[in-house]
Amino acid sequence: MDTARADALAARDRLRTHGWIAARAESFRHLPPPAADTWLQGPADDAAPGCHAPPLAGAGWTLHPVGHAPQGSVQARWLDALDPAQRVELFAGLPQPGDGDAAPFAWAHRALCRQGLRLRIQATPGKAGPDQGTVWLQLRHQPRAQAEAPLLVLDIDPGVHCVLIETHEREAAQCGQAVAQNLHAHIHLGAAATLRHLRIAAPGAGDQMAHHVHARLDAHARYEQALVATEGAYHLQRTQLDLQGHHATAHAAGLLLAAGQALEQQVHTAHHAAHTTSQVETLVLASGAARVVANAHTRIAPGADEAAVRQRLTGIPLAGRPRLVMRPHLEILHDQVQAAHGATWGSLPEDALFYARQRGLDDASARALVVEGMAHALLERCIAHPELLATWLSDGWLAQAIARHLATAQEAHHE
Amino acid sequence: MTTPSPLLQVRDLRVNVGERTVLHSVSLDVAPGALVVLMGANGSGKSTLGLTLAGHPSYRAAAGQALFGGQDLLAMSAHERARAGLFVSFQAPPDIPGVKNNLFIRSALNAVREARGEEPLDAFDFLASARTAAQQLGLPEAMLGRPVNEGFSGGERKRNELLQLALLQPRLAVLDEIDSGMDVDGVRAVVQLVQRLRAQGTAFMVVSHYLHLIESLAPDAVLRLDQGCIAETGGLELARGIARTGFARTAEPVEA
Repeated sequence: MDTARADALAARDRLRTHGWIAARAESFRHLPPPAADTWLQGPADDAAPGCHAPPLAGAGWTLHPVGHAPQGSVQARWLDALDPAQRVELFAGLPQPGDGDAAPFAWAHRALCRQGLRLRIQATPGKAGPDQGTVWLQLRHQPRAQAEAPLLVLDIDPGVHCVLIETHEREAAQCGQAVAQNLHAHIHLGAAATLRHLRIAAPGAGDQMAHHVHARLDAHARYEQALVATEGAYHLQRTQLDLQGHHATAHAAGLLLAAGQALEQQVHTAHHAAHTTSQVETLVLASGAARVVANAHTRIAPGADEAAVRQRLTGIPLAGRPRLVMRPHLEILHDQVQAAHGATWGSLPEDALFYARQRGLDDASARALVVEGMAHALLERCIAHPELLATWLSDGWLAQAIARHLATAQEAHHE
Repeated sequence: MTTPSPLLQVRDLRVNVGERTVLHSVSLDVAPGALVVLMGANGSGKSTLGLTLAGHPSYRAAAGQALFGGQDLLAMSAHERARAGLFVSFQAPPDIPGVKNNLFIRSALNAVREARGEEPLDAFDFLASARTAAQQLGLPEAMLGRPVNEGFSGGERKRNELLQLALLQPRLAVLDEIDSGMDVDGVRAVVQLVQRLRAQGTAFMVVSHYLHLIESLAPDAVLRLDQGCIAETGGLELARGIARTGFARTAEPVEA
């Protein structure tokens, strides 16, 4: 047996002996994930029955450099996790799954992962500081197997600035079969590197999707993640932010739209060094019988002097009887820090809605305008680059997603 | 010579806010192009009248009638009233986070234009007219690209109300203390805009406490509201009398 297969079998064995996520596991108790078999079923490279989608390039990822950025500095390797040598290269430097709450997902990923994409963004030779510009990348992932475990590894060299637009949209896929996707992304930002990470995760109604993003930041690095996520049969977006270096900064914003199914966002932040800053903000818009959990957990380690933390979770039930769980949580093990957290449930701002109506907008238009504004404001507080956001939103996909969501909520209201 | 039929006719209007009756019985007429000033002590019901006419859901008309251009105003939803040509400026205009001012005003303007059977304005044409109007009102052009009222000073919020008024060109504008928070240039801009729109046929109901503004507007009538009723009707001399002696003079009972 080769080492790649042995590694995968060992992961499977580990799951068998240690079991799946316990029903009482703190991180998952409000929306327990489907059982281990869901994430391990079937040969991973088989297309689902009835799926006529053409085979996709690489490991399900397609990479599109954007604009006129210095793309020569991008190294991309699609690696086969069943090839012993390539598996070693693919997983090099990644943390072991460990034994935390979410470790079973990581073991299941090791057991099933067939392919992965490894990206390295380097500084442009001969240029330094602001002169080297920003590298823009667009990654799209289309599932084609009933159960799959995609992997993305992104290394950003010190001082390099990068924008990554990552899209998971099932509507665009030709394969309409439900899938179970256990995706892991590992991001490392070298000293003073920046990454603006814009993500859309829109599973199909029957999909079970669990995305795990692990970002590790060296000194003075900055990571901003803006996520727009919609519901699925099960949909977890879990981000782990490790602020390893002093003066590292991480912002995470999530716009969660659910109208009858399940959706959970977890952002776990660890401040390991002094003068680190983190900001987590989530806006949940839910209706019908949706079940949505927004979970922000931040730990300030001993010695993380002058760490600054902010958590803000907002849930707005639009119609029906959705179940919204907002969980801000701080674990502070050092004295000299600033921390603020809050969770609010409430309705749309009535004064703004009436103001819009008094100016001539009908009820539906006023609601759409106000909701879209709240979403924009959320994203703007996370991504400190208005032009980038304007470009990302320029074709109106967010407005359309919100309009679809409000229409569904309205239908639920009338039922 | 015939008197034009009123644009707004309010008869015996009684308004409740929650369990409390704020307006007991209000009757008034506003003719096309006319300007009526509404004065009254704090809590007399001035803002309640404006918000009731605007269709605010918390202000419930319990009795009486309001006709606007012959239509039953109270039976219309808030946006229908706006599209019919009623504009109500807010005493404290709210923020709309994340919504750019120019998008908000263009959306409103196009909704009203559609109701009038006019073609919608594209972003380019709208921006040209919005910039001109903003300049006339002393509102920095940058305010057009910022979220509605977010971070605006009190005076900037009021100028933003005036900008919307200038672009929407309603048939009747209710201005609730539009001068509060405004500097002298702002008050001058109010007067100039009101004069220009009146010349085009817009009628006004202006709530104000300040004689200087009231005199500058040259009203057709001054009404004093007291405890939810129209207590006095007159001209500028009524406003001057109130400015001289205050509202308390008539409200206090005479002691034997």
